[in-house]
Amino acid sequence: MIKNLIILTIIFYFLTLFQISFLVHFSIKGVVINLVLVALFLINILEAPEKNSGVYAAGIAGFFLDIFSEKFVGFYILILIFLSLAIKIIFARYVRIKIFQRA
Amino acid sequence: MRYNLLKNRLLILIILVLIILFLNYYQGGVYQKKVKNFFYSISLPIQTTFWRAGIKVSDFFQTISKINELKKENEDLKLKNDELLSKISNLENLQKENQNLRDALGLGLVKEFNLVMARVVSKDISQDVIEINKGAKDGISKDLPVITSQKILIGKISEVYDNFSKVMLISDKNSSFSAKISGKETTGIAKGLGNFSLFLDLVPKEAEILPKDLVITSVLGNVFPEGLLVGEIKEVKKSDIDPFQQALISPFLNINNLDQLFIIVNF
Repeated sequence: MIKNLIILTIIFYFLTLFQISFLVHFSIKGVVINLVLVALFLINILEAPEKNSGVYAAGIAGFFLDIFSEKFVGFYILILIFLSLAIKIIFARYVRIKIFQRA
Repeated sequence: MRYNLLKNRLLILIILVLIILFLNYYQGGVYQKKVKNFFYSISLPIQTTFWRAGIKVSDFFQTISKINELKKENEDLKLKNDELLSKISNLENLQKENQNLRDALGLGLVKEFNLVMARVVSKDISQDVIEINKGAKDGISKDLPVITSQKILIGKISEVYDNFSKVMLISDKNSSFSAKISGKETTGIAKGLGNFSLFLDLVPKEAEILPKDLVITSVLGNVFPEGLLVGEIKEVKKSDIDPFQQALISPFLNINNLDQLFIIVNF
């Protein structure tokens, strides 16, 4: 559990730095791909709905996005946690595909 | 079991909200600034490396995709260069004449800006705001203008930390300042639209604005020093109903060329 949290923290720290310092140079019509959000979606979609790693990942990703943005600390944390919980609820109630029901 | 899980999650959420409130509101958010400054300090080497790599890689791809455009631009620039050379010789004569007149009137030299050099390290993901590696410890304070070495206006300092500062670009939606058309008496308000674009608003209807006209800062409002380069007019929008006309500005500010910047400490 703690090992997972440390790995998630390191991954999202570097992803956020990569996002704000490297990827900003590659906008298409003013739009830049948000790798942090993509990674967060993948974690939440691919893990079993009853597991919590996606929610922790949302908190960590949100924290780093808040740190490196103009917004107050907590803005992205709360948005991403609610987003992650919403994905979990939708997948737990409405999606029945074997890949999402791994133990 | 399910009730306990729900209770634990609710408890974690409440603790999180309390930490957020503490960081943002306790003693005016001083701890939030300290936490941010700590992360900026430890991330600086990585951010600088990523930023420079980003400039190099995007330059490479831009060059490939714009070869034809560059050829045409090169020809145009050669023509413009010839034109400018003749203008320079005229200006040199005028400069001599001006210097002679200044000497005669006993005036001092034009006051130069007091500048502090800074490097760009990142850009905000949702706004036209960049982060630079100079902060309160280097004498930086809020609202100071930021320019490039070519006197192109970049924006103004919006937030200051101990070792870092945030710069609100002129294209940010919250940015507005008075500007004028170079060589004309036409003035207006340059407002940001986000995504590195801005427009000139509140320009009197009778004023003549043409595409390619140069937009520079005006001294009105005292936000920026006079004569800093903003961009050139891209498109003019006139309507019979509106009392004013508007014009889209193509800014000289280019995120892919931003590396070294200068902060005007006093003007």
